[in-house]
Formats: sequence, structure tokens, C-alpha cells
Amino acid sequence: MENLKIEATKYTPEIDFDVVNGALNITGKSYPENTFEYYKPIVEWIKEYMTVIDNDRKITVNLDLEYLNSSSLKAYFDLFDILEASHNNGKNILINWIFDEENDIAEETGEDFIEDFTSLNIKLVVKD
Amino acid sequence: MNISKIRTVMEEEGIVFSFSGMISQALTSFMVETAKKQLEERGEDGKITRNIFLIAIEQLQNIMSYSKGRDTSNANKYVSPGVMVIGIDRDKDKFYVLSSNEIVLEDKAKVIKKIDEINALEKDQLRKFLREKLRSAEDKHDRGAGVGFIEMAKRSSEKLEYNFEEIDGKLYFHILTYA
Repeated sequence: MENLKIEATKYTPEIDFDVVNGALNITGKSYPENTFEYYKPIVEWIKEYMTVIDNDRKITVNLDLEYLNSSSLKAYFDLFDILEASHNNGKNILINWIFDEENDIAEETGEDFIEDFTSLNIKLVVKD
Repeated sequence: MNISKIRTVMEEEGIVFSFSGMISQALTSFMVETAKKQLEERGEDGKITRNIFLIAIEQLQNIMSYSKGRDTSNANKYVSPGVMVIGIDRDKDKFYVLSSNEIVLEDKAKVIKKIDEINALEKDQLRKFLREKLRSAEDKHDRGAGVGFIEMAKRSSEKLEYNFEEIDGKLYFHILTYA
């Protein structure tokens, strides 16, 4: 399986998924028009990754998303569903929800994910 | 052309940024990023600026979702004419985001039902309502999650204001949101 790397655009985040060290980083803004089309290959990659990786390997998902439109919110809800299913199958997943201190919207979104996905290990991380 | 007339209207309406024409994703990005930069340069509150940015994205992407018009040279391509205005309401001392687009009659009842349901909810209820809708995906369609009005209401300091207007046999939908 290969790493996944997608450059950021004005309205889509940078994707940097590393097979070997288990770091899945998504950084930037997300407000594309065809959101589900955009996230399809990203979701497919994660699904495949969860089938090839050993249960004792640590997976760290770093989500640093400054802005999300409503359809991107939906895409991340779906992503968290997949991560939750993988967690329930024994995968070792840590999710870091990263945001700027003054970005109350991003903080609130992270809090919502924690409330909705109680079995997942989600940490709120304030940027330095 | 009467540029003075345009300037007068813009000053009267407190307009900071406006556009009328075909809305696209590239233009959406350009407009919201430009408006955000202008607000930052004016020293506006970061929270208000973020709310305006997100409200404007939802309104513009709604225009693209609801437009059913076809390109005259390419029938497979949708065209999305619309008007988008960001301004300051001096009486309320608040920023507003206002937009207008053509809408098909079949969507009118659906839009009214959606917005009225949202307007009946308080802020803390909206947060829960949005998550329920995202979970159930009942309003999901090809181009979005169908929850744009909920996101607008969450970011707004007042209830969503809207109306429909028929001009020359065409039906237009207008929505006004205060940050």
C-alpha cells in the first residue's frame, strides 16, 4: 500500500497519510462544492489501510481544519464512523483535533465529535 | 452607465462586498476569502468574521445547489446566476449576508418547511439538530448534506429571514442572515 499525498487548494486541505509511521494528517480548509467526490479516495484509502495494518500498531489521525462547510462536516462525520468501526475491530487509534485558540467554531466542532463518538479516543489540541 | 448611482446605493445599504452574476466554486472561494481579508483589515472581531465567512459559503453553495438552469451551449452543465451581498446594517449595528437566486416552484414548499423548522429552534437545539441530520443523512443529495440552512442559523445572531418574489414569470428566493 502506498502513502497518500494530496496538495492543498484554496478550498481543500492538504492530505498526508503515511503507511509506515501511521500518521494520517489533514491540514487546511475544507469547503469544496463536490465534497463527497473529493473525499471518496481519501475514505477509500483509510478503509484499505485499516484492513492491512496490525492491531497493535498505533494510528494517529491529526485533523487541523480551520474551516468546514456543512457538506465537509458530513464527510467528517462519515470518516469518524469508519474510525469508530475500526476501533471496535481492535485498531489502536488516537485522533488529535487541532485548532487555534481563538477559533471557537473549530473547538465546538471537536467537542461535538467527542460527544457523538464516545468510544473513540479524541483529544482537543490547542495550537501553540 | 451611472457609477454614482451604484456608489450611492452601496453607501446607503452599507455594502462592503457584492456580486451579481454566475456563481461558481472558484468565485465562491475568491469572494469569501476577499471578504474575510477586508473584514480583517478593518479590524473586525475574529468570531464575527468567521461567522460571515461560513454563512457566505453556505449561501453561495446553496445558490449552486438550487439552480436548475442549464447552460445554453452545454445542456449537461448547470448555470447558477445569483446575487450575493455582504454589508453592515447601521440600525442593528450588525453585518448581514444577503443573497438571491432563481428557484424552481417545486422547491419552494421544501425550502419554506426547512427554514421554518430551523427558525423554531433555539441555538443549543440547532447544534443537536445539525448533528442528528448529519447522522441520519436524510437530506443528503449529490452536492451536499442538505444542512446549509442549519449551519447558517447556527452562525447567525438572528432568525433567518427569507422571501420569494416573482419577476417576469421567474421565481426568486432571497435569504438574509445577520452575523
